[in-house]
Amino acid sequence: MKLKTLALAALATTLMAGSAMAQTAIKIGVLNDRSGTYADLSGEGSVVAARMAVEDFGAADKGIDVEIVSADHQNKPDVASNIARQWYDQDGVDVIVDVPTSSAALAVNEINREKGKIFLNSGAASTDLTGTACAPGTIHWTYDTYALANGTGKAMVDAGYKDWFFLTADYAFGHSLEENTTKVVTESGGTVVGSVRHPFPGTDFSSFLLQAQSSGADVIGLANAGGDTVNSIKQASEFGITQSGQALAGLLIFITDVHALGLETAQGLVLTEAFYWDLNDDTRAWSERFSAEMGGSKPTMVHAGVYSSVLHYLNAVEATGGKDTEALMAWMKENPSEDPVMGTGTVRADGRHMHDMYLFQVKTPAESTGPWDYYKLLATIPAEEAFRPLEEGGCPLVE
Amino acid sequence: MFELLGIPPQALFGQLLLGLINGSFYALLSLGLAVIFGLLNIINFSHGAQYMMGAFVAWMLMTYAGINYWWALLLVPIIVGASGVVIERLMISRLYHLDHLYGLLLTFGLALIIQGLFRNRFGVSGLPYAIPAELTGAQNLGFMFLPNYRGWVVVASVVVCFGTWFAIERTRLGACLRAATENPTLVGAFGINVPRMITLTYGFGVGLAAFAGVLAAPIYSVNPNMGADLIIVVFAVVVIGGMGSILGAIVTGFGLGIVEGLTKVFYPEGSAVVIFVIMALVLLVKPAGLFGRTA
Amino acid sequence: MSEAMAMTEPATAPFLSVRDLEGWYDESHVLHGVDFDVNAGEVVTLLGRNGAGKTTTLRAIMGTLAKRRGSVRFNGRELIDLPPRAIARAGIAFCPEERGIFSSLSVEENLMLPPTVSQGGLSREDVLAMFPNLKERLSSQGTKLSGGEQQMLAIARILRTGAKFLLLDEPTEGLAPVIVQQIGRTLSELKSRGFTIVLVEQNFRFAASIADRHYVVEQGRVIDMIPNEELEANIGKLHAYLGV
Repeated sequence: MKLKTLALAALATTLMAGSAMAQTAIKIGVLNDRSGTYADLSGEGSVVAARMAVEDFGAADKGIDVEIVSADHQNKPDVASNIARQWYDQDGVDVIVDVPTSSAALAVNEINREKGKIFLNSGAASTDLTGTACAPGTIHWTYDTYALANGTGKAMVDAGYKDWFFLTADYAFGHSLEENTTKVVTESGGTVVGSVRHPFPGTDFSSFLLQAQSSGADVIGLANAGGDTVNSIKQASEFGITQSGQALAGLLIFITDVHALGLETAQGLVLTEAFYWDLNDDTRAWSERFSAEMGGSKPTMVHAGVYSSVLHYLNAVEATGGKDTEALMAWMKENPSEDPVMGTGTVRADGRHMHDMYLFQVKTPAESTGPWDYYKLLATIPAEEAFRPLEEGGCPLVE
Repeated sequence: MFELLGIPPQALFGQLLLGLINGSFYALLSLGLAVIFGLLNIINFSHGAQYMMGAFVAWMLMTYAGINYWWALLLVPIIVGASGVVIERLMISRLYHLDHLYGLLLTFGLALIIQGLFRNRFGVSGLPYAIPAELTGAQNLGFMFLPNYRGWVVVASVVVCFGTWFAIERTRLGACLRAATENPTLVGAFGINVPRMITLTYGFGVGLAAFAGVLAAPIYSVNPNMGADLIIVVFAVVVIGGMGSILGAIVTGFGLGIVEGLTKVFYPEGSAVVIFVIMALVLLVKPAGLFGRTA
Repeated sequence: MSEAMAMTEPATAPFLSVRDLEGWYDESHVLHGVDFDVNAGEVVTLLGRNGAGKTTTLRAIMGTLAKRRGSVRFNGRELIDLPPRAIARAGIAFCPEERGIFSSLSVEENLMLPPTVSQGGLSREDVLAMFPNLKERLSSQGTKLSGGEQQMLAIARILRTGAKFLLLDEPTEGLAPVIVQQIGRTLSELKSRGFTIVLVEQNFRFAASIADRHYVVEQGRVIDMIPNEELEANIGKLHAYLGV
């Protein structure tokens, strides 16, 4: 009798394990800005990118049942935390992806650490995610302030723009971007002659731009993002600042910003990105599919990062045959990522996804063949140079 | 070369002028709010959305119909103003017998709906709207480089503000409006159609917001949130000037633009709050506002 | 009561005929069926104690009382369902008890505010000739005038409109005797120019000096009508009505 029970129990366990192997259910939560400043560069596009990753992975054929949910965090850390908690505690979400806005991303990072889940960040910029705030389940996929500052800052100084003046958004992200860039500029042999901090979000930057102009700097570094950057650039052009020989360095500019500015205004800007739709045949083909779903808009690097990170995650699920956070993270850090959108990359011990970055310059209207033909490639920055060295981050996981 | 509080005078003049440019928008928007509040006793929370609509309708006229900036300046206030007339007739007019709070809630809800619709249709990155060819370029004033278009903004705003002030304070129509603000029942008993006047006044106030929107389109990004960012400051301007005071709205609008401009030089981090600090002080000392009549 | 009314009705239809007029302020029922007539060219007063419903009757005729019922026929036309502005356009002009001078308007703007509703009103010059005090104060703020001047302005502005039927609510209230006399002379002159006037008054000596007939209002009803020539004979009764 007792033996029979044991045998049944064993049988049942085997059956359950078997069915789990055959039918793993994954729930991906895309958490980002769906209505504010960053809705175009992340927003619905990130949901589309995640869905494309699921399709390309062939989840259905492999017996993995993937569901994608999404929510709007309104760029507010408290809203982001609440959603993350609800997703993990009640809705059975396994992994949260995207999460632009550094403060919101850091908040989600902490919930994630507490719940022992996986967080694939594509949208946020703060290097803290792989520095002092790094977490065992967090991968920072696409870019960070260090990579942007390093790419654009170094390139500009090398091109002879030695004296810098910063126009900085007055909140954590702006401060950190300014700090990172200052470091790169001074290390490359440039100097910082001044900076001014503007309210976030702002509408009128002319006053700050005139202060930058009268500083006599060679280049004005825009340590802001989204609408603030767009308006700064627009107004710099209007007040004849770019025409009078001062250059602008956009430290965080997405292709959607360039689209909003128009080439007449944006031409000549130097910027760093992790992705551009027109890099090669693979990126063009993928972007074409994306555009078809997004009413003609081309993907940003954030969208590309969501695609790439979700694909790598699903490969890990397939390889490990389960949803165990530790096993998945170990697999993702041991095996290189490989996809047609962001090419090959690796995930470092601190959670930094390492891949090449690109230095672009915005085309003149004459050079452009039409909408979305905006960038020309100036340089490819190898992954090892692009990102902050592992030992400088102060990530507790590294020691 | 002498300096004033550590700032060279050229820079100071430049900043004063820039303040005046921002003040032009504050003045136009707060004027519209003041006109509406005066007669309707409603704080029009959808004013920012209607300003945004002005910019978008200008963009649509240009993009879909090839109608240029100058025509837009004339047509957009009429089109958006007409939408205001419809809103007043269908919705706001039903609330006059209720507490003011309901009007505020209604217009606030409308603002969210309008912004949501535009966000859904056009995204949030913004759309480009070119400065009209006649106004490109700039003047070198010695102390600064003044874009022609910004100069035009100040001129247009001053003319429209003065025109509105004149129409309200110096014409027979304006006298009817002022009288209806004080005692609508009696004005009605004189045979004047007060409900129609209220409707048209709302349409006019909304038209002013749309006019400011067209002026803003070439210099600020045309995006669905542009009004929401600005309107809070404008409410503060109206409170400082005195709710419903026409002259107060205009003078305070320009004045606070200048104060804000100076703050950007001396203490940039404070420029976002200086207007609210002034508002708090004014409310403490003179609760009806600088130009307000104590009831 | 209504039989008494019927007996005094003249052969031709009255200029204004009020029947069963009821009115409410919010929920409180103030007028309980007011009946009276006014013939063209007459000066008629509504007398009564405070709170009897005199002012409310004027407001109900003018349409500014939101809730009202009954019949107000004016010049052959039913007004009870019309908004105030249409009643004004029909040719009735109203001078409220609180005078209603607009503080944000100058004297001139106050004077010129009411629109013309029909031909034959007094010209601006006629009006200023009638009220010479106003002429010197045209550019002053309306409410900077003295009480008497404000009262004159309130009457003056409705003479321009062409309306021949005036509702005046206590024009002498709170004014010095010399001003009251001046207003009395003005009303007599208006009468001689063919205006028809309904006057609400507390001061029945003043009323007696210019009116043709007096209606006595009590608790939202007209309870009596006294022709001016019979006033002396009925003075005791009147004192009882008014509680003086």
